Amino acid sequence: METEKEHRTKSVIHARHLTRIYKMGDSEVVGIDDVNLDIAPGELVVLKGDSGSGKSTLLSLIAGLDRPTHGHLTVADHDLTDTTSSGLTYFRRAVVGMVFQSFNLMPTLSVLENACLPGLLAGNPPDRIKSKAMELLDWLGLSARMNHLPAQLSGGEMQRTAIARALINDPEIILADEPTGNLDSRNGRIVVELFAQLNHKWNRTVMIATHSNIADSAATVTVCLKDGKIDGQPCDI
Amino acid sequence: MRHIGFFFRFFIRFSLRNMKKHLGRALTVLLGIALGAAVFTSVRLSIHAALDSFTQSMDVIAGSADRVLVQPGGRVPEEWVSKLLKFSAVREVSPVLTTYVRLAGKQSEPFLLIGIDPLMDRGFHKWQILQHANQDGKSWLELIQKPSSLIIGKSLAEKYALGRGDHVFIESTRQTDEFNIVGILSPGGLAAAEGGMIGLTDIATFQEFTRLYGWVDRIDIKFEPNAESKDIDKFRKMLPDNLRLGPPSAAKESGQGLIRSYQLNLSILSFASLFVGMFLVYSLVALNAASRRRELAILRAVGASPYLLFMVFLAEGALFGVLGWLTALPISTILVKYLLKGVSRTISLLFVKVHVETLSLSPWEILLSFAVTVFTSSVSALQPAWEAMQVPPNEALEISRHGRMRKTSVRKLLIVGVGCLVLVVPLSLLPKILNMPLPGYLAILLLFTGFSLLAPWGLQRTGHALSPILHRFAGIPAYLAGRYVRDSGTRTAVSVGALITAVALFASLVIMIHSFRSTVELWADQTVSGDVFVAAKMGQINQFRYPISPAVVMGLKEFKNRADLVPSRRFYLRYNRFPYEFELLYLKNFFLHGDFVWLKGNPDRVRTLLTQGKGVVISEVFSNRTGLTVGDIFRARIQSSRVSLPVLGIIRDYRTQGGVVFYSLSQFNTRYHDVQWSGCRIFIKDRTHDHEAAVMSVKNDIVKRWGDKLDIVSGNDLRKTILKVFDETFAITTVLLLIALGIAALGIATTLTVLVLERTKQLNTLYAVGAGFGQIRSMILWEAAFMAVVGEVAGVLCGFILSYILVYVINRQSFGWTFLYAVDWRALAMSLPLIILAALAAAYPAVKMVFRESPATLLREN
Ligand SMILES: Nc1ncnc2c1ncn2[C@@H]1O[C@H](COP(=O)(O)OP(=O)(O)OP(=O)(O)O)[C@@H](O)[C@H]1O
Ligand SMILES: [Mg+2]
Repeated sequence: METEKEHRTKSVIHARHLTRIYKMGDSEVVGIDDVNLDIAPGELVVLKGDSGSGKSTLLSLIAGLDRPTHGHLTVADHDLTDTTSSGLTYFRRAVVGMVFQSFNLMPTLSVLENACLPGLLAGNPPDRIKSKAMELLDWLGLSARMNHLPAQLSGGEMQRTAIARALINDPEIILADEPTGNLDSRNGRIVVELFAQLNHKWNRTVMIATHSNIADSAATVTVCLKDGKIDGQPCDI
Repeated sequence: MRHIGFFFRFFIRFSLRNMKKHLGRALTVLLGIALGAAVFTSVRLSIHAALDSFTQSMDVIAGSADRVLVQPGGRVPEEWVSKLLKFSAVREVSPVLTTYVRLAGKQSEPFLLIGIDPLMDRGFHKWQILQHANQDGKSWLELIQKPSSLIIGKSLAEKYALGRGDHVFIESTRQTDEFNIVGILSPGGLAAAEGGMIGLTDIATFQEFTRLYGWVDRIDIKFEPNAESKDIDKFRKMLPDNLRLGPPSAAKESGQGLIRSYQLNLSILSFASLFVGMFLVYSLVALNAASRRRELAILRAVGASPYLLFMVFLAEGALFGVLGWLTALPISTILVKYLLKGVSRTISLLFVKVHVETLSLSPWEILLSFAVTVFTSSVSALQPAWEAMQVPPNEALEISRHGRMRKTSVRKLLIVGVGCLVLVVPLSLLPKILNMPLPGYLAILLLFTGFSLLAPWGLQRTGHALSPILHRFAGIPAYLAGRYVRDSGTRTAVSVGALITAVALFASLVIMIHSFRSTVELWADQTVSGDVFVAAKMGQINQFRYPISPAVVMGLKEFKNRADLVPSRRFYLRYNRFPYEFELLYLKNFFLHGDFVWLKGNPDRVRTLLTQGKGVVISEVFSNRTGLTVGDIFRARIQSSRVSLPVLGIIRDYRTQGGVVFYSLSQFNTRYHDVQWSGCRIFIKDRTHDHEAAVMSVKNDIVKRWGDKLDIVSGNDLRKTILKVFDETFAITTVLLLIALGIAALGIATTLTVLVLERTKQLNTLYAVGAGFGQIRSMILWEAAFMAVVGEVAGVLCGFILSYILVYVINRQSFGWTFLYAVDWRALAMSLPLIILAALAAAYPAVKMVFRESPATLLREN
């Protein structure tokens, strides 16, 4: 049997009794409940579950966007259970990259500027960020779109811009919440393919939350959530 | 009917519920409108009260005469009472004397003493005595029967706790006498004159008291009902040259005219607060329309007519107007108390004496303020309502268009804005319309509108130019703020527009008041020069109708070896309908120590000609009001003499009653007729030794010898009083201004908060991709700083233009005067950074608002 400590060092995501309860006035809503999870580095995790099962809640905890009500969470050697808010900021900048269902690009910034943004926020040298961003955008097939505003892009292009943004600071982990939810199936498949490349070519840990089956084939690990708890295999949705 | 019912139900569900959801914003906007409406309402109400009481007072004093007989600058011999009655057209006459007096001994407020013949006057003035149980109702007869009896008004009685049977000592310009109060006036008629601060005596008592045996101030005349205008003309022709038959209302009309100008100016100033409030309503309704675009598209898709949507948003604006006005009522009741005092003091000091005891709630004024408030806030909703109406139903089909920004063409606004500004120049050159500076006001409105329309362009340019520089020196938050401000279009521009308006108003009024004040200071130093001023007791309030007695004049002349005397005589006259003062001055000595503030004419040449009696100089106000200018002939009748003299020069003068014409006293005495002194200035000759002490010694000498007959004031005190009056007058302006600035700050606070709320998703995204709280807060502060700086720079620019219009167009057309333009750099340099700080402070609620909800909500779609 491996010890708890070994688990922690081996896995990039390590959760114990992770619980997030939302208080809505007097009533309480369970987001996730007593989740134990260990993900080794270099996996492509597909997080599945019905609507309301807690996928986004779990993702937001791992991304450092929210704090758990109980339990422990360590991500890439960062203990997220009790970090300072500046610690969390550093974590979000350097350790994780996020991709959202509705892209969430800054409407007033161009594609290139959107891609550069986290690098600039982190205070890295602008020239380096810029060339890095151009490289990424080139890889994503957006070199011709660099100076366009988000409103001038198609959904697939917007999501690829968002992926460039997520990668600009070289994060260890990429988190995506329903990244294909606002895309047609062709563009959806392209995006999944990009995540798969990131995973096996560049060896990044990727975690995709989705309730569709689009990413199943790319998955190296599948985690199923049901009513906020990790469900036994197989995932049947 | 069913339609209206549906509309209301729809409005409640669609708009009111949404407002309830964002109650804070709605309440802020409401507060802004309420403050604006309160200022407007209370300014209107208090000036109306002053105007009302003035009119009423003038009406009851004028009585029901058809015409009055007066001698310009003098009095009418009493024998004309019986002479007039011989004319067949004349039915009744009533001689009247009036003067301001006060209770002796106490430092009491002057009141108006009216002398009439109770029997002859019965058809002219209405008055009655308050009846007591044990009286026979004949106490008015006591006025005739008992010498030195007096009836007093209610306010006077209450103020000094006087009642029937009391004996009082009353001090006039000539002497002090004992009077016996035989009754109190009951409400109605004459009792309303001067707010009840009056006394009524028999004409004989009055003449005895004032030593005016055989003279009356005026004779009121009623003609036979069948007398035709040609009979009256014939009658007029039979009158001697020095007597004038005029309408009883002349003084009333010119007084009303002055109060109305003041009312108009203050109304416009108070409207500025509402105008700033308009930006608030606009920004909220526009936000509602923009943030609910998708809902609007869906509504349209399921069958709502564009007209319905238009009306809903217009109704939001109107609702703010109605509720704002209602909220304004309690604020107004507090504000109006302060304003009523200030306004009536200002009017009394600057224009005509008014007594405002109570606030008369004019339904018209209340209706007007309601209509103006509702109208302005509805108008502010017009553009967003129009936008809402244009939302095409097929937008409902577009999925997730986050990040799509609708842009109002900045260029289009720029063109319209520049167009407005271009029109400002020709408009401010136009003469006044309907006796009001309407083109000037329109120019101001266009100036504000033009600058506000330029705001988006200004923001875009500044954001564009500054954001790269800021990136280098102030980091990424400043850069992002610059980018956002650059691209946010009309959104941020609205509150910048509000700030521009308020700052412009502030800067221009600071400049105007400073110019005004420094010019008045110069005038006070040069023209109101003199070490000691003496005048007949209560001379000023009685318009110097009682000259200094010859014995006192003889005594004053004894000071000649110690001091230069500048005696003067003032007459209060009318030029056509315009009231002015004709002042005779001993110019030889005046020019030794003082001077006029010259506006037109070569001072050296004019001083010589003037001293030689070859012409007159007129004040700027007189020139503007009458159209007379250098080279024209000034014609007037001064008592028994006819004067016809060329205008040599125009000077600045800021005395209260408007125009002045100056002529040499000594030349008048040799060329026309001898006049007595109404006042005298004394200049100490030796100006090298202890000047203060010399002044005090002369002043004390005079007080000791004639303290009971003269009003004596040192020149320094007089000049200080003039400036104090000036400062008090502008205290009201300052209060109104501060309120407008406060509303602009509310505007910035709401806009920024709204901008934050609107961008919750974007800010959360920033957070998710690695921005710290500090970075996001500093980004919002930078946005506020951008808005504040652009608003302030444009506002100051606009303010400079506005101050020119205020000094050279509005003041000239409203009051007839202009000032030497002077910018108070110190006040501006001190206050402008404060305004920026206030604007930054207004960002505080917005900064607090960021992340009120957890950033994780970002992951929750829909
Ligand atoms: N901010 C919040 N406040 C209150 N309840 C919340 C909040 N966020 C999530 N929940 C609740 O927590 C539970 C889990 O929600 P979560 O968004 O994580 O589900 P999900 O699996 O992402 O669903 P979906 O597939 O619809 O995105 C749900 O019952 C949801 O209502
Ligand atoms: Mg979800």
